[in-house]
Amino acid sequence: MSLESSPHTPELIACPDCDSLFVLRSLSDADRVVCSSCSAILYEHKRNALSRATAFALSALVLLFVAHFFPFLSLEVGGRMNEIVLINSAGALYDFGSPWLALTVAVFVVGAPAMLVLGILYVQLPLARGRALPGAIVACRWVYDAGPWNMIEIFMLGILVSMLKLTKIATVHLGIAFWALALLIICVTASLGAIDRSDLWGRLEVAKRRP
Amino acid sequence: MNRPAYREHTAASHGLASCHVCAKVELMSETTCNRCGATLHLRKPRSIQRTVALTIAAIFLYLPANILPIMTTESLTTGSESSTIIGGVITFWQSGAYPVAAIIFVASVVIPVLKVLAIFGLCFAARSNRSPISATRVYRMTELVGRWSMVDVFVVAILVSVVQLDSLISIKPGPAALAFAGMVILTMLAAHSFDQRLIWDRSNRHEHE
Repeated sequence: MSLESSPHTPELIACPDCDSLFVLRSLSDADRVVCSSCSAILYEHKRNALSRATAFALSALVLLFVAHFFPFLSLEVGGRMNEIVLINSAGALYDFGSPWLALTVAVFVVGAPAMLVLGILYVQLPLARGRALPGAIVACRWVYDAGPWNMIEIFMLGILVSMLKLTKIATVHLGIAFWALALLIICVTASLGAIDRSDLWGRLEVAKRRP
Repeated sequence: MNRPAYREHTAASHGLASCHVCAKVELMSETTCNRCGATLHLRKPRSIQRTVALTIAAIFLYLPANILPIMTTESLTTGSESSTIIGGVITFWQSGAYPVAAIIFVASVVIPVLKVLAIFGLCFAARSNRSPISATRVYRMTELVGRWSMVDVFVVAILVSVVQLDSLISIKPGPAALAFAGMVILTMLAAHSFDQRLIWDRSNRHEHE
C-alpha cells in the first residue's frame, strides 16, 4: 500500500505511559508498534476494525434491551414469587430508602454500558459511509470516559454471589436477562477490543472535514 | 544550573503534548486538541496532589466500610440480624463455600489495601527516579483490579431489591454499603488523576546534571 492511499500519513506518536516520542511511517503494514522504553502498545493494526466493532455493538444493543427489561433473578418463598428486572431495580432500591445504592446501580450497571453501546453505534454507523453525525466527536469522547465505569461483569459476579446467599432462604431461578447479560459482557468487550483508536479518530477527522 | 524538566526524546521535551483522549500529538501552544476538542495538558494538572487527596479520603472510608454493618436482615422467624463484610466472608467459609469466601475477601478487603499502597507507591515513584518500568507495571495493574471491589456493593443491591417479602423476610442496606461504594469510586478517581508519565519524567535527569 502506498503512503498516499493509506489513511495514516507519517505521524508523531507519544507513548501514553512514558511520553517517549516516535515518528511512525506507513503504519498500514505494521501489525503492532511497541514503545522501546516501557513496552506499552503504541499502535495495533486491527483488521476491519470499524465493521467488527460496529457488528458487536449492534448485537450488544439487542442484548442490552433483553438484559435491562427482562427478569434476571426470581425468588420463590412459600409459594410467593419475586422477580427482579434490572431497569426496575434502581427504582425499587430508591423506594426501599436507599437512594445511594439506586444511583450506584443506575450509573454503573444501567447507564455506563448503555452509553458505551449507543455511543459506539452513534459514532461508527455513519462512519461506515464516511459521515459523522453532529456531536460525534463528543460521543466518541464519552465512549472513552464511560469505559472504566461500565461494571456489568462485576455485577454478574454479584448476581452469582447473591444466588449462593439466597439458596438458604428460598428457591432461586436465573432469568433470561442473566444469560443476556453474560453475552452482553462478551459483545461489549469484543466491540471495545475491536476498535482501532487511531483509525477511528482519523476517520472522524476526515468525515468532519467533508462538506 | 538549568536542569531539563523532562527526559530526552519525549513529547514534552519537544514542547509537544499528546491528547489524553485521542492520542493526537499537538504543539503545547494549543490549549485544546484540534481533533477531539479535549483540553490539552503536558501533564495532568496537580496530578500528585489530587491523587494523594483522593486516596486519603478513600482510607477514611475504608474503616467504616469494614466495621459497620453492610446489610440487615429482618425475618419473622429469626428477628433482626446485621452482618458486616467480614461476617459475610466467615459465613461463606463456615458453610463450605471456600471459593466464594475467598473471592469476597480478596475483592473487599485485600484489593482496596493493595490499591491504596500501590497508589502511594506510584506517587513516590513519580518523585524519585528508580525503576520506572516496574512502577509502570504497577500502574497498569492498579487500573485493572480496583473496580472489582464493587462486587459486595452489588450483592447488597441485588439482595435488597429481591428480598422484599413484606413481613416474612426483608433485607435493608447498612451504612457500610455507602462507605464501600464511596471508597471504590474515590480510589478509581485517584488512579484516574495520576499521570503515569510522571513516573518517567525524572528518570534520566541525572545524566544532565
